[in-house]
Formats: sequence, C-alpha cells, structure tokens
Amino acid sequence: MALLATLRRLNRVVALVAGGAVLLCALFILVEIVLRQLGHSLGGSDEISGYVMAGVTTWGFGFALVDRAHVRIDVVRGRLPAPGRVLFDLLALVALSAVAVLVAFRAWPVLARSIANASRANTVLETPLWIPQAIWFGGLVWFAVMGCLLAVVGAGLFLSSQFAEAEAAIGPPHEG
Amino acid sequence: MITAVAAGLIGLLALSIPVGVVLFLLGVGVSEFYSAFPLLRGLGQMVWSAMNSATLIAIPLFVLLGEILVRGGVAARTYSALDRWVSWLPGGLVHANIATATMFSATSGSSVATAATVATVAMPQAERLGYDPRLFSGAIAAGGTLGIMIPPSINLIVYGFLTETSIPQLFLAGLVPGLLLAVGFSAVTVLLCLWRPALGGERRSYGGAERLRALVELLPIILLFTAVVGSIYAGIATPTEAAAVGVAAAFLIAGAFGGVDLAMIREALVGTIRITAMIMLVVTGAAFLNFTLAAAGLGNELRAFMTGLGLEPLSTLLVIVAIYIVLGFFIETLSLMVVTIPIMVPIIVELGYDKVWFGILMIVLVEMALITPPVGLNLYVVQGARRSGSLREVMVGCIPYVLVMLVMVAALVAVPDLALVLNGR
Amino acid sequence: EELSVVGSWSGLPLHKQYEAPYWTETLPDASGGDITVQLTTHDQMGLGLGDVFTLLGQGVYDVGMTVADYAVADAPELEGLDVPLVALTADKAKAMVDAARPMVEDIFHDRFNSEVLAIAPYPPQVVFCNADISGLDDLAGKKIRGSGRMTTKFLEALGAEGINVSFSEVPGALQRGVIDCAVTGAGSGYSAGWWEVSTHLLPIPLGGWDSVVTAMNLDKWNSLSSETQSLIKDTIKADFEDPAWASAQGALDNDIACLTGDGECASGEARSMTLVEATPEDMAKAREILESEVLPAWAERAGAEWATRWNDTVGKTVGVTVPVN
Ligand code: NA
Ligand code: NA
Repeated sequence: MALLATLRRLNRVVALVAGGAVLLCALFILVEIVLRQLGHSLGGSDEISGYVMAGVTTWGFGFALVDRAHVRIDVVRGRLPAPGRVLFDLLALVALSAVAVLVAFRAWPVLARSIANASRANTVLETPLWIPQAIWFGGLVWFAVMGCLLAVVGAGLFLSSQFAEAEAAIGPPHEG
Repeated sequence: MITAVAAGLIGLLALSIPVGVVLFLLGVGVSEFYSAFPLLRGLGQMVWSAMNSATLIAIPLFVLLGEILVRGGVAARTYSALDRWVSWLPGGLVHANIATATMFSATSGSSVATAATVATVAMPQAERLGYDPRLFSGAIAAGGTLGIMIPPSINLIVYGFLTETSIPQLFLAGLVPGLLLAVGFSAVTVLLCLWRPALGGERRSYGGAERLRALVELLPIILLFTAVVGSIYAGIATPTEAAAVGVAAAFLIAGAFGGVDLAMIREALVGTIRITAMIMLVVTGAAFLNFTLAAAGLGNELRAFMTGLGLEPLSTLLVIVAIYIVLGFFIETLSLMVVTIPIMVPIIVELGYDKVWFGILMIVLVEMALITPPVGLNLYVVQGARRSGSLREVMVGCIPYVLVMLVMVAALVAVPDLALVLNGR
Repeated sequence: EELSVVGSWSGLPLHKQYEAPYWTETLPDASGGDITVQLTTHDQMGLGLGDVFTLLGQGVYDVGMTVADYAVADAPELEGLDVPLVALTADKAKAMVDAARPMVEDIFHDRFNSEVLAIAPYPPQVVFCNADISGLDDLAGKKIRGSGRMTTKFLEALGAEGINVSFSEVPGALQRGVIDCAVTGAGSGYSAGWWEVSTHLLPIPLGGWDSVVTAMNLDKWNSLSSETQSLIKDTIKADFEDPAWASAQGALDNDIACLTGDGECASGEARSMTLVEATPEDMAKAREILESEVLPAWAERAGAEWATRWNDTVGKTVGVTVPVN
C-alpha cells in the first residue's frame, strides 16, 4: 500500500533524526567530560540529556509502532486463524490509538502552561521549558496520528480480506 | 484493588494489546474506579516527568554501544574468540553470554541497558552456531539482571536514598551475591546441557595455540571494558556519562577493525531508537500506573495486610518475599521498589533484620521481576534484539535462572553473611 | 470529608516524625472523625520534583507538600524564600520564613491555585568535601555539585565550578573525584554514608534551608467550612509546623556531632569528618557576592516588584539588600 510505504519512509527519517540526537547528546557529554578535566565545565549536560530522552522517546514511539516493535504477548492470538489474528491486531491498534490520543490530549496543558508562565528550568541554563516540551508534545501527536492512520490501513486490509498483508502491516513484532 | 488490577492486566495482555498500552489503560481504570480524585488531569505532567530523565539516557547510549559492536563486526570476532575458550563447557557460548553480562554489569547501573547490550552483541550468534534459542536468550535476559546487583546500580541507589542506608555499603554488599548469581547461572546451564546436550549447540574443542591466538580477538572488548569501567573508577565520568565514553570507544574500536561506514551508523541509530522506544512505552505506562496505584492507596492496602497477619519474624519475612515475587510478575521494578520500600523496610527493621542485607535480598527479588512474565522488561529487550521467534521462548528460557534466583533468596535468608561479609560484619 | 494528601520525601525525618503523624492521627482525631486522610508521598507516586504544586493547583489531590525550591520553574519569584547563607541558625531561618510568608501565600494563590497551610524546614543544605578545605575561599577552583539555580550561581561567583551530577550518583562521584564537594542536608549525608566518601564538612547552609511548603488546593480550601479551615490552620501550626521548627537546630547540632565526632551523637555511631568553621570574613564575602551578583540576577528573573517586596520583608530581617533599578 502506498500509504503504508510512505509512513515507513517518513518514520525512518524520524528515527534517523532521533538517533542523531542521541549521538549528539553523547558527544555533548564527552565534551563536558574533557572540559572538566581541563578545569572548565559547560554545565547542563544532564539537563540536556533529560530533554533529549523525552524528545527521542515520543518521536520514537511512532517509528516503533510502524516498525511493529512494541511488545505484545501473543499467547492467545497465535492460536487463531488468520482473520482472528488480524482482528486482535486491529483491537490492539485501536486501544493503542485511544491511549496515544488521550496522552497527547493531556500533554497539551503541560506545554500550554509553560508557555503561559514563561517557565524556565531551575538550572543555570534557565532553559525555557516550552522548547523541549514542544518537541516532546509533537512526538506524542505524531504517535497518535500514526496509530490512527495504521488503524485505517489495517481496517482496509481486513475488510478486503488481505490477511497476510494486514499481519505484515500491523501484526506483532516479526512473528513467523 | 490489587486483585482487580491483576485480573485486568492478564485479560488485556491476553488480547495481545501492547504491554505499555495495557499499563496505561489500567492506570486509567484505577483512576476512574478506585480513586475519588481526578488523577487523569495529572497524566501529561506525569508522562513528561517520566521521560525527562537524565538517568534514562544511559539506556539508548548502551543500546547504541551494542549496535555499533554488532554492526561493526566486533561482536562476531569476540564471540568466535570466546567460543574457543568456553565451548568445552556443556552449554558453550551460553556461558559467554553470562560472562559478558557480568562484565557489563560492572559498567552499567541498569539491568535493561545491560541486557540490551549483551543481547545485541550475542543474539546473532545463536542461530549461526545452532544454540537452543530459549536457553540462549534466557541466559541473556537473566545475565542482564546482574546490572543492578553488581555495582554500580541505579536500584541500590534508590533503595539507599529511600531507606537512608549507606550507598557505598550497599554497593559493596551487592558484589558477592552478584558474582555468586553469575556462577549459579553458569552452573545451572552446565547441568541442563549435561541432561539435554542438544540445548547447548555444537560442542567443539580447540588447541592451545588457537586459543592463544583467539585472545587477540578479545582485545577490542577488553579495551572497551577498560574505557567504560576505567573512566568510572578513575573519576573521569559518572556511571551515566561512562555510557557516552563507551559509545565513543566502541566507534574507535569498530573503526580500527574497519567496520564503520555511513550505512552502518544509520542502521545502528535506527536500531537504537527502535529498542529505546519499545522500552520507554513500557516504562512510561508503568510510571503512570504506579502513580494511580499510589494515589489510590496501594500503600495502605499493603500495610493493613501486613499488620493483619501478626506473624513471627521469619514467617513475616517469607510473606514479604512472597509478596515481592507476586507483585514482581506485574509491576515494573523501580515502581515496585518506590511503592513498597516505605512500607516493607520499617517492618523489616522492627523485626531486627539488617537494612543493607534486606536491600540485597530485595534486589534479587527485583531481578526476578525483570524476567518473569507478563511484565518483565528484560524479556522484552531480549526479544526486541532477536527479532524472530516468540516472546514465549525467552520466558521459558528464563525459568532455570529464576530457580537460581530463588535459591539465592533462600541462601541470603539462611546465610546473611553473603551480603554482609565485605562490610566486615 | 476525605482529604487526599501527598507528602514530601517518605524517607526523611520531616515526613516520618511530623507529616505522617499529623495527617494520619492528629488531624483526624482533632476533627472527631469528620476528616479522614489518604496519605501518600510524591516519591511513592513517582512525581517529578517540580510537579507537586502544579498538580495540586489542578486539583489532582487536595494537599501537597514539597520543597519550595523545586517549584521555581513556574515561579522564579519563589527563589527568594530560600537564599543561601543568609540564615545560619534555625531561629534566623524561621524569622526569614515568617517574613517571607505573605509573599509565599500570594505566589501560591496566583501561580498554583492553592492556599499555604504551613512552611517547615528541611535541615540546612551543608557542604561535604572530599578535599582539604579550611574555609569558604577554598571552594574556589573546586568541582562542586549544588542543586538549584541560586546555589549554583553562588558557587560560580565564588570561583567554583558547578558540576551537574544527578543526586543518585553523588557518592560515587565524590569517592572517585569526579566532583570535590557536594551539598545536602547534614542528616541525610550522615545516614546515607556520605562520611565514607568525603573528609571535610563545612556546616553552613550553602544550599539554604530548603523550606517545605504545605498547601491545599484553593477550590478545596474554599469549599471547607470556616470552622474546618481554622481547625486545620490551628492544629497544623501547633502540631506540625512549630514542633518541626523547634527540633531543627537541635537536629542540626546532633547531625554535625554525628559526622565529626565532636559532641553527643544520638543517631548512632559518631564519625570523624573534619569540621571546617566559616570565618566572619567568609560570611562577609558571601554577603558581598549575594548582593553584587546572585540576588541582582534573581531580581531580573523575578521582576523588580518582587525584589522590592523582598527587600522590605526578608531583606530587612536578614540585613541584605537587592539592588533594584
Ligand atoms: Na551494575
Ligand atoms: Na515481572
């Protein structure tokens, strides 16, 4: 399916950018270690690490979803015939999308509050909190959108009885 | 409430809803049915706090380190070298998994990161050399749990902080039980493979000269180990920062072996994000569930239960151990510790037990929780790294190692000195 | 009336000795059973340090308690409650908090939609060094882990290097020389074994007194009858706030004795850290740095209005003035 292929391509870019952020964060920590040995300090490497972790996590959620990497327990599902398995997959995806939408919905006030209060971290960097929180919130929205789009793709495949294709799109991680 | 949550957990997991999502759903359920307060309003703040954590950055960093070693070809060389040395033992490379996990435990404060590293390094070898996937992956999941027993350990730090126990003493106390567990894991592997030789893959023997040559191939992993541990013990880096040192060292080492190019780096980064996101969905869901459980009075329920029993010291201790085993099936480990420590430790101290000793006992139980289904982060991490077969296989593979941990629990109760000897008590 | 209460760190004496008994026994008894309490703590809930009052304002629970300094991301003016090194004794710290109280009440009304019930002290945040120091001046050039913006800025003005190490990694970092010094409460340092990884103790409140604010969601507060309101305010003062302050100086003296072996230690075995006294010159220098660098920077963050108000209240009490332009 064209939509699915597009989602995969997009999310691979997302994963690469997120991975790059992890790499940069490692570099930042290294610079901090070296400078400390020389008697200087940038300060704030742990604060930055926390922000990187939050951003990488939420944007990674969507990628892991499209890549079918989120953990599922297939004890019952694995014993069903193909249509039943796909129904389970759809149910799982609907539950996931509902949670993703709920979390994104509840995350907005956190960002809104930081913007309204012009909140700054209680650190020397005085990071305006809306910046890392906006990246974090964006990832949550992306995750919710991915969940809903995948549910549509999966439902389409199910209704047209393309069970093998459906499992390849929304089944558990690299099962059989 | 505990019963309802457990039933809900099993039911939703059986529907094959993603584990992290199930934990969120249960949190919503607890909030709606067991709490008079609008806990859902705190969901966003809770999720932000759980993710915005400098300590957790060690997870992607150690995963990335492992990815580089695997994709840079270092892992394959290391394993074939270790194969020369340990394949005479019944179980062969399974022992290498345990040994590597033990080594990484001395560099990593997190069990999940340890398991992820060893899994990415070791998993590709299992199929190639014909090992039983269950035992092979179970050994990695179980070996990875040593990450929080052998110092440094995030969980011991949390215990020390919450109970006002000396963290250096706790670290010292974890060393002997940690090494004993590693030996125990190896021993049970030998026994299993003597009983069912097919579990252990092909046993091969090598000449002395070949073994000595193989030592050269071990050099990269030893260098890496030295860089990570060395930077911690030389006072250059904190345990979290050492993960970044490890990433840099892994790049240099893989580069020296000619295995670094742009395509490889891209794959390593993408793989890192895949595993990190998978772990973090579970961790975040667990944090939210824990938030609702604490607010709905899980602490009070446990306290009422314990005082209602009115048992003598040893029986009370055994009940506590049993509670940890049961809760450990369902609750993520750090949440399990922060919820129960304020209730259990005062009881333990009142009964006359040592706080340092109980900390170590709790860590063994928490290690067990990491590899018992349905909620066991190390199981998921190992499954995520192998990307074939089912999670069930990893769970089955862990059973022998869970038994070793149970023996360790019994040993600690019978001989408290196992934990206290290095502290001179 | 059922109250959902989220307490401060469950492992620390303030919670165990004062908070927990007050909310689970004293208040329910005093109300003749009308008030029942569901008590947990923010660490048990896994709440981020900065979240306690935010969620309180949103009505996720009724009563929240935590260190005011944790909440300054949302309210920089709150930093003025907890300025390092201006209050050396518990009496002085109490006077400072009393002077600041009307300010704190306004901040909590406006920023966190909540009513301040009490302000109690954590032990002062003192300096543990794994390095040979003989006074405040020797901290220059040292790698020091402080927490909070004001403390870190003070350290930097002193010529020290503020190093970011997460709290959990401090003992290991001290032991291996990643950092030379770190700041925490004397009692926590004693019971968590920091004396094993450091040699010198500088018992001045470099990190301030870490005042713990207890506050109730404002909607909840307004829904209570005036009898219930005064019952809570009266009992929390008599049975929580006052006893906590009364024991603060004694606890500090005891903790220092336990760490240095100099005096009577009631908590257990006495240790032998070297006690470093801060000289009057040290304190004069500290005050100079506060007035010339640290407090002006705060006045910029918080706004001149708050700085002026601070000068008229807290500043008068402790004899420090923030230049306001
Ligand atoms: Na470790
Ligand atoms: Na488990």
